[in-house]
Amino acid sequence: MDTLLTADLAANAPNFRRRTSTYVDAIHDLPEKESMAPAQLYSTESGRLFHSGRIVIATVGLPARGKTHTSVALARYLRWLGVKTRIFHLGDYRRAHVGQNGDVPEDYFFVNASTSSVLLRNKILKKCREDIFNFLNHENGQIAIYDAVNPLCTGRRALAKEFEKQGVHTLFVESVCTDERIIEENVRSVKISSPDYIGWEPEDAVKDYLKRINARIPHYETMEESELHYVKMMNAGQRVVANNCAFNYLSQRIVFYLLNLHIKSRQTYFVRAGTTRDEDSYKADASLSGEGQDYAHKMADTLLAHRESERQNLIKHGAPESTALKPLTIWTSTRRRTVETSEYLAGLGYRVRQRSQMSQLNPGVCEKMSERRIREQYPDEVAKHEQDPYHHRYPRAESYHDLAVRLEPIILELEREQNDLLIIAHESVLRVLYGYLMACSATAIPSLSFPRDEIIEIIPASYNNQAKRISIPGLPDRLVPGSPEDISIPVPPSEMGSRIGSGAVSPMSGLGTPVLHGSPGRGTQTPEGSGREGGQLPLRRQAPTSEPRG
Amino acid sequence: MPPPPPPTSAPQENGQAEQYKPNLRKVPQGDFMRPATRTRMSSHSKKTNGVGVQVEETRICVVMVGLPARGKSLIAQKVVRYLDWLSINAKCFNVGSYRRTATPQPAASFFDFSNTEGERLRKAAAEAAVNDMCQWFRSPGHLIAVLDATNSTKSRRRWIKERCDSEGIETLFVESKCDDEELIMANIKEVKTTSPDYVGQDPEEAAKDFRERIKMYERVYETLDEDEADMTYCKIIDVGSQVIINRIQDYLQSRVVYYLMNLHIKPRSIWISRHGESEYNLSGQIGGDADLSPRGAQYAKLLPGLVSKSAGDRPLTVWTSTLKRTAQTAHNLPYEKLSWKALDELDSGVCDGMTYAQIEAKYPQDFAARDEDKYNYRYLGGESYRDVVIRLEPIIMELERSENILIVTHQAVLRCIYAYFMGVSQEQSPWMEVPLHCLIKLTPHAYKTEEERMSADVPAVSTWREKGSKAEHAQTPGPSARASPMIGAMSK
Repeated sequence: MDTLLTADLAANAPNFRRRTSTYVDAIHDLPEKESMAPAQLYSTESGRLFHSGRIVIATVGLPARGKTHTSVALARYLRWLGVKTRIFHLGDYRRAHVGQNGDVPEDYFFVNASTSSVLLRNKILKKCREDIFNFLNHENGQIAIYDAVNPLCTGRRALAKEFEKQGVHTLFVESVCTDERIIEENVRSVKISSPDYIGWEPEDAVKDYLKRINARIPHYETMEESELHYVKMMNAGQRVVANNCAFNYLSQRIVFYLLNLHIKSRQTYFVRAGTTRDEDSYKADASLSGEGQDYAHKMADTLLAHRESERQNLIKHGAPESTALKPLTIWTSTRRRTVETSEYLAGLGYRVRQRSQMSQLNPGVCEKMSERRIREQYPDEVAKHEQDPYHHRYPRAESYHDLAVRLEPIILELEREQNDLLIIAHESVLRVLYGYLMACSATAIPSLSFPRDEIIEIIPASYNNQAKRISIPGLPDRLVPGSPEDISIPVPPSEMGSRIGSGAVSPMSGLGTPVLHGSPGRGTQTPEGSGREGGQLPLRRQAPTSEPRG
Repeated sequence: MPPPPPPTSAPQENGQAEQYKPNLRKVPQGDFMRPATRTRMSSHSKKTNGVGVQVEETRICVVMVGLPARGKSLIAQKVVRYLDWLSINAKCFNVGSYRRTATPQPAASFFDFSNTEGERLRKAAAEAAVNDMCQWFRSPGHLIAVLDATNSTKSRRRWIKERCDSEGIETLFVESKCDDEELIMANIKEVKTTSPDYVGQDPEEAAKDFRERIKMYERVYETLDEDEADMTYCKIIDVGSQVIINRIQDYLQSRVVYYLMNLHIKPRSIWISRHGESEYNLSGQIGGDADLSPRGAQYAKLLPGLVSKSAGDRPLTVWTSTLKRTAQTAHNLPYEKLSWKALDELDSGVCDGMTYAQIEAKYPQDFAARDEDKYNYRYLGGESYRDVVIRLEPIIMELERSENILIVTHQAVLRCIYAYFMGVSQEQSPWMEVPLHCLIKLTPHAYKTEEERMSADVPAVSTWREKGSKAEHAQTPGPSARASPMIGAMSK
């Protein structure tokens, strides 16, 4: 068994993302073509942020210290910021070299390895580095994440020197654990799912795995090289040492992001706000209608019942009776309807926090206009919008891109939050946040759909996140997809659909079909698994009609 | 499950009437960055409500640690100003000023740790400051205090931590450790010769005495280390070349630490200007996305000369908003340009494109409400000054990290940025006069930000409206660069 199972994990994972789908985390996909990322500040010809140079982020740390988790999370954040980032797992190269069933020599990681092992090592390293240089020099890459053990000081110095020659900064990110429990937890959750350990007792498997690692990588030097740029994360972020990290904009952003990153798993739920009385205006900021109130209750009851069933399920699987789920915190925008949707839960004692950054997309001049009128009055704008629905901004309006930039502090807070989180917001905000967590492309984000009769649950995992739907029963049909408060900004007609998920599916098709909660076990069920035909998550938005809505 | 509460309000028949209700909504203080909720240990479980929801807000005491002349006071002040600007109620408690009430101008020997009388007085000053701080924390909404002192020994720090623990206040120790002689000397010169401890003394003598004092501290100084691994701390070594961050508990703490990491001390200036006079300025309308007026275009033409006269050949980056009038104003500037959505003018919602007179006629209550509390007043469907500050926060962070920047933006946004650098209060900042066709240069120094205004000498309307007045945009005939009435009071 190798030290990094990521490639196997990727290849064998049942939900390994198909490029055509938006409901599986896309963090390991490479963008097919150049396009701006969700929160990119500006575009440049090279595709790089001009006030930040090229950086190689090299991980340092023994297996099971959370390197992959950190690499993946960083890549997710950086790509979302619009930084062209790719992860290079050295383990993949090793496996590619020795074949799926082969293995490297026993002394492969030893300092005093045999000549043949050293040669093999160098060959594998060389191939990986060539690919990194190719990415940075010829594919306009800005950040390459080099995921390897990098255990020795001399090796790290040589690495930094080699990249420096090409004008590339090297930022080392070391994961150190002195707390055995964290390591064991890590091994248990990620490493021993390998076929090698089928039929083992978890405790024995963990011990065996750690023994093998210690035997294979007997020499490890923690980072002390004061002349290098490094971030040392100890015990899952309990202590962070940032050495010489202020060299540019991105390096500082990376450190801040790492400061907020933790490895504890936590659920995030997304729901829409209830419907409002009669006013579908952005500026009016209307209150909930009776129906909206009813929705708020049903949504909350469904969510609480779901959480209770998760708890019962844990107990069924051997957890003690007193097991409690993580506390639930609720975030809303400062718009009246989201606040009012949370009031029922607040009344039950849940903590609600308002975030003015989470206000919906500002529709600008399109406020209260029907789609037909927009098309008549602003034919040029509509044409531009259809070209690029993510970045185009109607006069005085916000684009999705503006919204993503506005939501950036929320993203960091989202990473920091340790409680389970219910986010009640406008569909436009949910799209962007979902786009971050599931690494959706900018082109897909404007057409993600969140029908009101579903709670979307994001289950985080180290290698990729999963999304799951919880159906809210008993809602009147008219409440579900038609969003009276939705902004009637036209989205491009159906040719977009072919790129996303199941094509141009009308949101109506998802109506009323119960979600199959086969086994409500955490993380076992993905939207794919539910086998629903049309209602896959998130749906493409309804194709525009030429008639004004209700 | 308890029965659902009754609907808070019955649906109204008349949607129109509802829509035009005055819409003054106060955002709770410090809403933006309140620490994330956390459940406490079981010993506090009686405070939770049974559904695992955390009850109280976190209160944090930021405890400065470091030898004299390591920039502690500067850091303390900047942190307080930054948090204040974000509406997080913060206050600095300077132990030195408590000590001075007993010993206004002590000689270096006072700080000799074998001087028992000095030691006693210094401990008394620390106790008085900490007592006052704990008292201050008892008021609701008081979230962050900065304890500015050397706190150079482990026992002193442990004492502070225990004291705060007993009050339910979290501690974040911030150590500034610096061995760079040059930096220390610069600090001694710039700051300490102006310290109240040395008022009226010969600067040379003062500096010498001060170095003696530092030596006294050096003898007993203990840096934060492994013995204190249970504490939350941030240790900044040699102005950020290494930063050690230990046991950060929540988002607010990480935010403070990130802010500290972005501070630099390289000399630089920030130039800010409003866009040139726009067509809407002429007609007295607010908001919109209008073109420049001919006089505005004239300003755009003169701006490069004005900037180069002030900035010389320093490298500059220009930031504009996404609205036409700022892009047109910056058009002739020969520098790299970035346009930020976050620099767009305050969104006036339903009032966008109206004149003040029209607003007063159509929404008289709102008009009055806005005058009452302009900072918190959120235009129906639009933004308040508070909202603008929140969206400007990343801009401020990037400004702290950057060197020379020229910002071309709008009146409300400029007021908010200016308020950050000059420490203008929330009551004052929305009323501040910022004339058109005037370039403002801000140069941050250790204890204050220096301001210089340069007029382009192009006449423009005045868009400044005094509190309570209905002033339509008036014509100002001459140079419009007269200083705002409160500038003097604003520099801290």
